[in-house]
Amino acid sequence: MKNAIGDELSPAQAELVGCYDKLASLLGDRSGELAPFEQRNALKALAALWQVANGLDMDRGQIYHLGA
Amino acid sequence: MTESPYWNPRHETMSRDDLEALQVRKLRNLVGWADAQVPYQSKRLHDAGVTAESIKSLDDLRRIPFMTREEWMQGQIDQPPYGPILAAPQESAIRYHLTSGTTGKTPIRVLDSMKDWEWIAEMWCYGFWGFGVRPVDSVFFAFSYGTFVGFWGAHYACEKLGCLVLPGGNMTTEARINQILDMRATVVCSTPTYALRMAQEAQALGIDLANGPVKRLILSGEPAGSIPATKKLIEEQWGAKAGDTAGMTELGTIMMFECSHQPGGAHIIEDHYIEEVIDPETGDPVAYGEPGERVVTSFGRGFIPVMRYRTRDLVLKVPGSTCGCGRTFDIYDGGIRGRVDDMKLVRGTNVYPRAVEAIIREYEAIDEFQIHLYTAEGIRDEIEVLIEIPDRSVKEDELCSELSKTLAEAHEGLRFHVRTVELESLPRFELKAKRVLDEREVVGGSGERKQA
Repeated sequence: MKNAIGDELSPAQAELVGCYDKLASLLGDRSGELAPFEQRNALKALAALWQVANGLDMDRGQIYHLGA
Repeated sequence: MTESPYWNPRHETMSRDDLEALQVRKLRNLVGWADAQVPYQSKRLHDAGVTAESIKSLDDLRRIPFMTREEWMQGQIDQPPYGPILAAPQESAIRYHLTSGTTGKTPIRVLDSMKDWEWIAEMWCYGFWGFGVRPVDSVFFAFSYGTFVGFWGAHYACEKLGCLVLPGGNMTTEARINQILDMRATVVCSTPTYALRMAQEAQALGIDLANGPVKRLILSGEPAGSIPATKKLIEEQWGAKAGDTAGMTELGTIMMFECSHQPGGAHIIEDHYIEEVIDPETGDPVAYGEPGERVVTSFGRGFIPVMRYRTRDLVLKVPGSTCGCGRTFDIYDGGIRGRVDDMKLVRGTNVYPRAVEAIIREYEAIDEFQIHLYTAEGIRDEIEVLIEIPDRSVKEDELCSELSKTLAEAHEGLRFHVRTVELESLPRFELKAKRVLDEREVVGGSGERKQA
């Protein structure tokens, strides 16, 4: 996996970004299926993982529409 | 893997060319976001002929119009309570903070989301980690935890780091000192003035702080953290290293931090900000080593996009290579050196004389006034308002008390002493009035303090 400036991420970094992407996708598509404790904790985790993706120059955009 | 001395090793040590490329990309994203989400910003950008696609280099930054505090405040007056600057619906926000304004009536109000708050803490993490704070540390916050954003972000940063956080709100100075000792705090966060106040109180209590558990102090809220004489005094009294940081409510967090090499200034967090230094009169950029006004563009807070905000802070930028820590982030030598306007910083609170005057002028009984700033007990900034009341029938005590309360409410609770003085004892002015008398001294040094 390469970031926005063309650098190859390490396997561990790529896995973290993968976690972010998976969580963002889940919250975008299936948030309504989640109980309050599932949804709000997932949002909090997403807000933290966003910092990782951002720090790795992944340009994942904003996530206000997801509630974070 | 060896522990990194950097929070984000790749960004903090990347070449200046790579850093510039990163900033250009983030600037393009920021312009695109503001253009799409904030009609007010979109109009400003389009009027200047700026689109995201047109951002090709950092030179293009200069095509974006400056934004001033006055414009921000006017926007809030026109569209209360937040003005036309929000890029996301209010429902997405989880926190509200404010800072005192320039008119005395309207504070600057800001909102942030969950993600923004993680970012706010993230900026503090650069500073804490860079100054040597680690998960094993116990961090005491001598902070009141109110609407002033202050150390809120630092608190969350320390939780993120895994430190033991010791919140010290709503406590007397003596109680704070006792808790620092009882809990064996290794790091203390406070304003420089309050660090000295605690040291003074400890001395009065017969406590030897210099041989206590504290190894590091993280200072913020006042320029004194980078004034060598004051810093030296703090470090001697606490027997600890003191690191300066600086931030602002308009950004929600810090934009610079002093690293453990203590280069006599603070590194700018340049992977999250573009910091320009300009001639405040012409708006033209100044070279390294020349004083000027800092202008900030922030990539972090998406809720309120900040582009080319004129801070009125006086700074002097030098290359990051002047520090031996290995960071490529440029440095503000001497931290925030003062102001290019008349704002005064009193115990961490912004005070604009024109805002104080606007409030005083609502009291018709007051004929003349003076704003007096002085250093109390050798360490503490105090502000008092001296007033003349010609009408003997006016209840002076009641008026002083009411004015003091109104001024405090407009300044995040800052205590203003208000007292009457003899008629005709204050200076009168025919042309440019000078109703501010700043007699504060550099603590630990001698003579007039830098404008602050």
